[in-house]
Amino acid sequence: MSAYRLTRSYHFSAGHRLASAALSDDENARLYGQCFRPHGHNYTVEVTLAGTLDPATGMAGDLGELDRTVERVLLDHVDHYDLSSAVPALDGVITTGENLARAFWGWLAAALPPGRLERVAVVETANNTFEYCGSRSLR
Amino acid sequence: MTPAPVYVTRKFTFSAAHHYRQPAWSDEENRRVFGALTVPHGHNYALEVTLVGAVDERTGMVMDLAELKRLVGDAVIARFDHADLNADPVFASGRIPTTENLVRACWDLLAPKLGAERLHRLRLWEDPTFYVEYFGS
Repeated sequence: MSAYRLTRSYHFSAGHRLASAALSDDENARLYGQCFRPHGHNYTVEVTLAGTLDPATGMAGDLGELDRTVERVLLDHVDHYDLSSAVPALDGVITTGENLARAFWGWLAAALPPGRLERVAVVETANNTFEYCGSRSLR
Repeated sequence: MTPAPVYVTRKFTFSAAHHYRQPAWSDEENRRVFGALTVPHGHNYALEVTLVGAVDERTGMVMDLAELKRLVGDAVIARFDHADLNADPVFASGRIPTTENLVRACWDLLAPKLGAERLHRLRLWEDPTFYVEYFGS
């Protein structure tokens, strides 16, 4: 059982638009409203790790190592890109906050030691947050 | 296997007046327990509504946030924004409009509209230093 949870925030800015390839422009405009128009956000991604305390270091997670991993597998692929057209790993994904949280979880879980990733939150604006924690339940 | 759910949180704000008074107690007892809170005052509240659900793969969404905004706006914000909470029927029978009681009142207003299984958590901020979370019963 991991006694600690560590959360670190990252920022990136990216363009996107919400559109389903299965729908016409009119249907997409009706479904997604303003979000159908190309626009962008200053995104915040919160990455939460679970860990146990290493008595030698006093740390339950190495934030420097986490920074390098997040930069390599996430930020380098999305910062100042158009999420809806220029990110191969998001091909075919409607770039809602829900889908981004799941996608980022997948990228990070594959790069971090098994079992360490506890939660990924995509903060799209100060008012909208999307959280994914795999099969865990959120508290 | 059922796909893992996504948690979606949207923040709303409203401003309201309240004061604390337990009608069963004397003025002196009220002042002793509640202090400055016996005097009518107000707060800028922030209500974070967290939904949980499967992503609709056709839309990529758990719920249309514009619809959420409309539902919460109609059920909670229109009712409590720039209102005296003590005058609301919810708090008329001596139920004190604490943050705890207010978040529960918000839950009772929203759960029937959103579905108790979809409403995961309400977090009500009374001011930037204090919030109460409620997860239903």
